[in-house]
Amino acid sequence: MHEENIEKIQQFHSRNRRLPSYGELADLCGYKSKSSAYSLAEKLIEAGYIGRDSAGKLVPTAKLTDIKVLGDVTAGFPSPAEEELVDTMSLDDFLVENREATFILKVDGDSMIDAGIQDGDLVLVERTDTANVGQIIIAEVDNEFTMKYLREKSGAYYLEADNDNYADIYPEGELRIAGVVKGVVRKYD
Amino acid sequence: MTKPRAVSVHSWPEAILHIDGDSFFAACEQAVHAEYRGKPLVVGGERGIATAMSREAKALGITRGMQNGEIARRFPQCVIVPSDYETYSIFSERMLSIVRRHTPAVEAYSIDECFADLTGLRKAKRQSYEDIAKTIKSELQSDLGLTFSLGLSVNKTMAKVATSWRKPDGFTAIKARHIHYALAKLDVGDIWGIGPQTAARLEKLGVKNALVFAHKSEDWVAKNFSKPQIQIHRELNGGMVKKLELEKAAPKSISKTKSFTPASTDDSYVFSQLSKNIENACIKARRHGMYTDSVSFFLKTQGFETAGRKARLSIHTNNPHELLRVARTAFDELFQTGTAYRTTGVRLGNLRHESAYQPDLFHQHVEVEKLSGIYDIVDQIDSRFGKHSIYLASSLRAITEGNHQGERGTSARRKRDLLSGENSRQRIGIPYLGMVR
Repeated sequence: MHEENIEKIQQFHSRNRRLPSYGELADLCGYKSKSSAYSLAEKLIEAGYIGRDSAGKLVPTAKLTDIKVLGDVTAGFPSPAEEELVDTMSLDDFLVENREATFILKVDGDSMIDAGIQDGDLVLVERTDTANVGQIIIAEVDNEFTMKYLREKSGAYYLEADNDNYADIYPEGELRIAGVVKGVVRKYD
Repeated sequence: MTKPRAVSVHSWPEAILHIDGDSFFAACEQAVHAEYRGKPLVVGGERGIATAMSREAKALGITRGMQNGEIARRFPQCVIVPSDYETYSIFSERMLSIVRRHTPAVEAYSIDECFADLTGLRKAKRQSYEDIAKTIKSELQSDLGLTFSLGLSVNKTMAKVATSWRKPDGFTAIKARHIHYALAKLDVGDIWGIGPQTAARLEKLGVKNALVFAHKSEDWVAKNFSKPQIQIHRELNGGMVKKLELEKAAPKSISKTKSFTPASTDDSYVFSQLSKNIENACIKARRHGMYTDSVSFFLKTQGFETAGRKARLSIHTNNPHELLRVARTAFDELFQTGTAYRTTGVRLGNLRHESAYQPDLFHQHVEVEKLSGIYDIVDQIDSRFGKHSIYLASSLRAITEGNHQGERGTSARRKRDLLSGENSRQRIGIPYLGMVR
């Protein structure tokens, strides 16, 4: 029904990385008043294209912005009906759980090679002061970040590489944990 | 001395929380650079003066505005780093998101400060306001790896007082009925919004202490001062006058100012700097959908002398072509051959939302319409490929030669050390902690 308007909002969103205000929405869709824009927004919210955040501002939903997840695609499959459109998440949402606590590091060397983490990979790390034994963690050792397994032996914590060429690291004082590795990203050219 | 008299009998008529990042820029640098932790650190390497100091640098006595040369000579152990506003902005946005987990009513006051309205939440959360504030503080610190100082009270003015009570890494709550204890220990000049001039006038009227001011009648304040002071007076008495600004108000003016090192006597380079500022100001104006007909330009010499010119346009516009015509004239009047300049700036004033052409300027109108079509496309290209993907030829030297050369002209690691797939204009919006072995 509002396909043209939805397209305009999508374009606005990809240009400005935000949704229009009601005034801008009126301009965008050629309405004279903000109240027409308001009722358009109401309809689009009902249809699931946009939503309102807790401050009452318009925000996009996955339906407005995202790539569809495609399962089995048969040739000549008809355009899926609206109710068949599953909720999608962006790759960002998929990789990042607690966005505010997430940081990126770049891997230098092969100390975790047997865990599948290569030189040059990007690791997504969630900041925390505590971690579980067995997790791959980022620790601060001698004012540098190091990425290793967190291990424990008779009450003492130590760090273990996943590469036999590296010795275990026993912290001299307190073990300072900077975060826990949550994901690895590698891009190919 | 007599016991201070209370200003209110209530506890929490409203609950307003103020949050302030401790030594924010420097703390962000220490959060993303393990090697800077625990060390005295100064931000502002590219400007030649200290913009922000870490706790350790403040302890050495380094203050804002100190020359980097002097810092390096007197405190060789101090690290001086270039500013990385991209990283500080990400931390700032994260601060706001974390606070918004608890309440939608958050005012972003500045890059490192915000206010949050917690009123009513203690029932919903079955927690005291103090406990909610402590939860917010611990989430901020554990997610971001920085420390914050928080102040909880019954309005913005008193929340600011509470924050300043214990810093850094502090939390102070001041109920309405305890306000008088805090104010008794403060001078009026310590209150947010009372500047040195107002403080001096108050002192002349015999009011130095903040509680003495709070106990003055409103009639007395109204007789001697004006609206802002009346508002502050009411808040010191426990009322809530200053509402939280939840939506960013449209700017009243837009300024773009940039310094460059070394200072330059080269008129084409200095003009390109001004031209780039004009482009940036117009980009911001277009983002807000605003138009100007009043533009000021200024140049600052190496000796920090400033000269400016103001120009009035016949139409409201936000495209740099229009502004450059008047900029050229102003520049030629301002620029003195042989003088070295270090800063250029532009300010767009009298902003409004529509361009409103005058009918007698029909020819110009057509041309302006065409140009604004071009800038729609420029904005689209920039949003896809990054700012300044397309720029005016007059800005070429500023954009290609950069603002800072030589040893001071270093840029932040984030901009030097790009990840595969990033470019100098667009980077992943997640802070980068560098290499890990």
